[in-house]
Amino acid sequence: MSATPQDHPSIDALLDYWLHDSDAAATEAIDEHLMQCEPCGRALDELIALGDGVRAAFRSGAVSAMASDAFLQRVVGRGVHVREYRLPHNGSVNCTVAPEDELLVAHLETPLQGVERLDAVVTLSFDPDVQHRLDDVPFDAEAGEVLWLPRFDLIRTAPAHTAEVTLLSVGAGGSHELGRYTFRHRPWPGAS
Amino acid sequence: MWRDPARRYSNFFRRRLAILGGMQALDTSIDGDGPEARAARRIAAAAPGEARDAEAELYRLLAPRARRFGLRHLRDAHAAADLMQHVMTLTIEQLRSGRLREPERVLSFVLGACRLTVMDQRRVERRREDLLRRYADALPIADLQIAPRLDHQRVADCLERLPERERSVLVMTFFDDQPSDAVGAQLGFSAGNVRVIRHRGIDKLRRCVDSGTRAA
Repeated sequence: MSATPQDHPSIDALLDYWLHDSDAAATEAIDEHLMQCEPCGRALDELIALGDGVRAAFRSGAVSAMASDAFLQRVVGRGVHVREYRLPHNGSVNCTVAPEDELLVAHLETPLQGVERLDAVVTLSFDPDVQHRLDDVPFDAEAGEVLWLPRFDLIRTAPAHTAEVTLLSVGAGGSHELGRYTFRHRPWPGAS
Repeated sequence: MWRDPARRYSNFFRRRLAILGGMQALDTSIDGDGPEARAARRIAAAAPGEARDAEAELYRLLAPRARRFGLRHLRDAHAAADLMQHVMTLTIEQLRSGRLREPERVLSFVLGACRLTVMDQRRVERRREDLLRRYADALPIADLQIAPRLDHQRVADCLERLPERERSVLVMTFFDDQPSDAVGAQLGFSAGNVRVIRHRGIDKLRRCVDSGTRAA
């Protein structure tokens, strides 16, 4: 028997199913549907492949993200070698990347209470006229810090430079600076 | 013979499958007269092992579905592949022997066998390996298309184009397949908010990756 089109779960429903966001009844119904519907099975395969691609991109350092300390603990628990830098409010740090490092994380301490929207602006000393703006970054106001996971693949091969990160609180009345952080990067000695 | 753990588990599993074979255990409406049922009837009508084409066809149709079930419920590619192999082997064995009394209900049988296997596997991980070892030689050979492979560089490029919030939620979700409430708790969002952001992100990511695939 072929499922009628109206029976087919949506992509969102398949994603909920895959990520354990569906309840028991929905999970059972989709189990049954997938047993008879190859097109939906292939759609799920594509979602799984997309998730694998996201994971691979992150593991290779090809994407940046703003995350949480709990997420970082999960990453470390998976055996990823993480180099962490903790910067106090408006602080600076001398930083590098060791050959065994797989991920770089910056903890930016900042007062987040009452912040509605957070933007970040990154400038690099070797390209001072360009501002890299990150709009509406996710943050947990209770945490009192922002976790920035920059693109590791670029930093690993970058020459000595200074990066400045400015956090901005954005609201109806405009934006104001929350904090400014400076990273003085040097390549690992001997690294090509 | 009861001192042999593999055989003891095999008989345990056979008894449970015998119930499924009689279709007393499942109340599903997924069966019908599709290609799966037609292949199952050809296997059941032939002398044991003589309907190799039908067995290969049934394997080609149902093995990927059993594997998906295993991936979803066991979260491990190797365990899912093992589940797929032994569910399909046992299904074909039941059809050959006539113990699956209604071959047209093969979809229900496979779904039930998948569920039983997952439940049993969670309880007795080691026993599954015994069963697979016992029946591995009986597997039919068929071309099997498994999950698609994406160009990971393309996925990375598309991810970088997403708004920061969507990219971060997708990374935190798919790094180890976390549900929305777990991701939300880590970012101070509600589960519903995470699902909305996830939906937008996945939609954009799919379209971006698809456009690159078509252009390639």
